[in-house]
Amino acid sequence: MTSQPRSEDRDSSDVERFRELAALAPDDPRRAQLRGDLVSDHMDLARNLARKFDRRGDQLEDLVQVATIGLIKAVDRFEAERGNFYAFAIPTIMGELRRHFRDTGWAVRVPRQLKELHVTVAAGRNELSQKLGRAPKPSELADHLGLTKEQVYEALVASAAKQGTSLDARLAEPAGDRFGYEDDRLVEVDNRRALGPLLAELPEREQKIIVLRFFRGMSQADIARRVGVSQMQVSRLLAKTLERLRAALGEDTLAG
Amino acid sequence: MSEVETSPVSRAHGVRDVDVRVWADAEQVPLLRSFAADIAMRMDFDLDAIEDLRMAVDEACSLLVRAAAGDSALVCRFEPAEHGIRVRAEVDAEHGQPPSADAMGWQILTALATSVTEEVAPVEGGFRIRVELLAVPGPAGADPR
Repeated sequence: MTSQPRSEDRDSSDVERFRELAALAPDDPRRAQLRGDLVSDHMDLARNLARKFDRRGDQLEDLVQVATIGLIKAVDRFEAERGNFYAFAIPTIMGELRRHFRDTGWAVRVPRQLKELHVTVAAGRNELSQKLGRAPKPSELADHLGLTKEQVYEALVASAAKQGTSLDARLAEPAGDRFGYEDDRLVEVDNRRALGPLLAELPEREQKIIVLRFFRGMSQADIARRVGVSQMQVSRLLAKTLERLRAALGEDTLAG
Repeated sequence: MSEVETSPVSRAHGVRDVDVRVWADAEQVPLLRSFAADIAMRMDFDLDAIEDLRMAVDEACSLLVRAAAGDSALVCRFEPAEHGIRVRAEVDAEHGQPPSADAMGWQILTALATSVTEEVAPVEGGFRIRVELLAVPGPAGADPR
């Protein structure tokens, strides 16, 4: 297992290396090396976020691959002047993971009827969300769509299993796979220690918005509905809060 | 299925208290969050509230799994209550560090659930660590305003 530098050291070395990367000419051979290092040094973050999305029943390793693509994009697009790499990489990786779930089809063989039911219920969910200004209840979906509650339940469970894998398959994975969890835990210490206290200082509404945006991966419009403010306000609050977190992390970096 | 005595609340939703006991390992957490989501669905939680509960149970159980002693059990009880569902999860641990010591995990948990409490009690050979959370069916309770 590689030894992890302390988070402050890591942040400041990140910033330095991103500056270095930006300064290199596009065809400089050192560029590929540095880019690769930056990606592999942040694999912990990709793995961590992938695990959060594993809730939909997909296999962790597949999701880590998707998250890694997001990470590579983040490394390529990040500008060192923007401050903290995590603040930029987290939404980029989450976006990649969300896109993966939107675009991939059914991994599990589901009866045709159930697939159609799923589409109907998904459409009903959107309609009712708009009409009610909040997420509908299963009973409301049933009324709206003229279905029985059991049918709605079936459709909801089916959508959760859209990228499913059998419980047996998970348990049959080689034991070596479990070592990955150890890594997760170690690395979380870094990630969480840096950001946790800063998040705790935020006002309740800002905290909620950050959680919904980055841990639930919700759109600004959805957040606006949930929190009960306009989307403009969500956008402004997010920008302000991120600015504040970046500034705070930036100061730590300088101090470290 | 034989009829057992249930409270009027749980009977109304066709859901009764459920106890689930699994090996305290990260691999088991998806099972528990699926349980939680299914129960919330049958209690007619709105779809966002179902997702919130799924994530909250995931986080609570993940925190406990990290604390749990090797080869121990994670016991999770789902209790339909008057205004929502109460989830109580506990593990046996060697060390008595409270789950809230994980600042970010606790942050996520408290943001997702209506209320969360923790308890660390000394037991023979270590500690019993418990997280109890309450989730409600919709925006009425989850809205911070």
